[in-house]
Amino acid sequence: MLNFNHSELIAIWLSVKVALLSSLISLPVALVFGYGLARYKFFGKSVIESIINLPLVMPPVTTGYLLLVILGTKGYIGATLYQWFGIKLAFTFSAAVIASVFVSFPLIVRSVRTAMEMVDPGLEEASRILGAGKLRTFFRITVPLAMPGILSGTVLGFARSLGEFGATITFAGNIEGETQTLPLAIFSYMQIPGHEIPTFRLVMVSVLISFMAMGLSEMFVRRMRRV
Amino acid sequence: MLRVNIKLKRDNFDLVINEQFDSGITGIFGASGSGKTSLMHSVAGLATPNKGTIVINNQTVFDSVAKINLPIHKRKIGYVLQEGRLFPHMTVQENLLYGFKKNIKQQLTFNEVVELLNIKHLLNSKPKKISGGERQRTAIGRALLSSPKLLLLDEPFSALDSNLRDQILPFLIKIHNSVRIPILIVSHDLSDLLKLTNRLILIEQGKCIGHGNYHSLLASKDISNKLGADSLLNAFTMKVMKSNGETGLTVFSHKNEEQKIKVLCEQSNVKYSRNDYVKIFIRPDDIALSNIKLENITIQNQLEGVITNILEHGYSRICIVDVGFPLIVKITAESAKRLEIRKGNMVWCLFKSVAIDVAG
Repeated sequence: MLNFNHSELIAIWLSVKVALLSSLISLPVALVFGYGLARYKFFGKSVIESIINLPLVMPPVTTGYLLLVILGTKGYIGATLYQWFGIKLAFTFSAAVIASVFVSFPLIVRSVRTAMEMVDPGLEEASRILGAGKLRTFFRITVPLAMPGILSGTVLGFARSLGEFGATITFAGNIEGETQTLPLAIFSYMQIPGHEIPTFRLVMVSVLISFMAMGLSEMFVRRMRRV
Repeated sequence: MLRVNIKLKRDNFDLVINEQFDSGITGIFGASGSGKTSLMHSVAGLATPNKGTIVINNQTVFDSVAKINLPIHKRKIGYVLQEGRLFPHMTVQENLLYGFKKNIKQQLTFNEVVELLNIKHLLNSKPKKISGGERQRTAIGRALLSSPKLLLLDEPFSALDSNLRDQILPFLIKIHNSVRIPILIVSHDLSDLLKLTNRLILIEQGKCIGHGNYHSLLASKDISNKLGADSLLNAFTMKVMKSNGETGLTVFSHKNEEQKIKVLCEQSNVKYSRNDYVKIFIRPDDIALSNIKLENITIQNQLEGVITNILEHGYSRICIVDVGFPLIVKITAESAKRLEIRKGNMVWCLFKSVAIDVAG
């Protein structure tokens, strides 16, 4: 039951790699956007908010399709990238990461923003008065105080990346060893009769990873609350 | 030295202030919403005036014409806000050191500040675990350690109950004695301010309606009405002459040795040594007037003086009696009439030793 074959192990490893990379890319950007949305009022704020949140409500296949239209080798930006720099994004490992970033980013931003809104602006003011610049204030006051929300948002985004299916299969394809993540592997196995046991094995792994991620998120939140 | 000449538009009125603040404590008094906090915000850089200039020690931090508006963190101002605003994720020590810069010559060292404010035992605690008064002291210490050119305290007492207020006063007096920078204290409670300083600024509807010594402000009828008869307070600094452990009585004197005051000091738990300077408070309605010195009476303090001014406040009369220093005495209009109290009369001011409060 537990003897994973090579391609299964690769799919698991690929999933974790994609999810980690996408969280790592999303987090710093989410900190900036979350802070901007929490603290500033500016023209076009609601438009930016809608665009960020779009992948949350859109069918993932649509997100993948739009990414393909924009970043594919014949897409608006993708064509330029391909012709000028020889960079091909669609149907590569990078595409799997990009698809993951787009679907998990809104979750992380949401969580970061809410956490930063809860930080008393008076404390940021106090820090500025004590001689700290905006950047120092951000990293020594805002971020540490919003940390539980930032961490739990990141873990949530990580879990969302693990489960990403629609956008990945549309934009990155289902290439074994390159873009075939856990959900895609499960889907592929399901298509083949007699593969019930490997399917179940991967399903169990998927459940386990998700479970661990949620546990970790809870632990972070609780640890921060105690302080 | 702080020089403020600004105009700041607000919803209901404009704040128009043109004043100079020298080192030492200035009390800023006014009702809630009179513009006191807007003034503080403008000085600290949290609010931007529409017009004018703000100069701290010859450095222009704001000038609407020259387009100078120094950002908050470069103004070097210690600003202690109502709730203290300590950083909850840091210990008291980390809070204290937040604005501390090693290479700048400090007026006070870390150890001196910790000593002065009596917070040594709290250094490793989180702000949540300490009391309101301790939080307030930590906030003041944190501001002092950021080597400010100016200290602003916004309602430093309002978050504290009256017991804690009296605890924070001696610390503020000590700070005042150890740093030579302007200290601006905002309050809507006159008696709190009078315990710290005689120098007052009165703000009403965004305008400064009086700036100067408390007693000279009191002489103006318009202003004395606004100060409110209930919050008047006699506050003066006196020197300890003798402290008697057996009777609990401490004898204080003003500049002239003849103006002695005996005070029962058992409340303050502090031992006074000769030649210490101490602040003393007496409420004007705790003082009685007599035309002659009374011999067979329990009241221990009897000071002779001349009435320099009498102000009418409804059915009461506020007499300013010069006993070597001005003493404010509140009596009823009826008594004033009965005793024929008039300007220029010699009177004896009588007050009990137990009616006197001491800070520090």
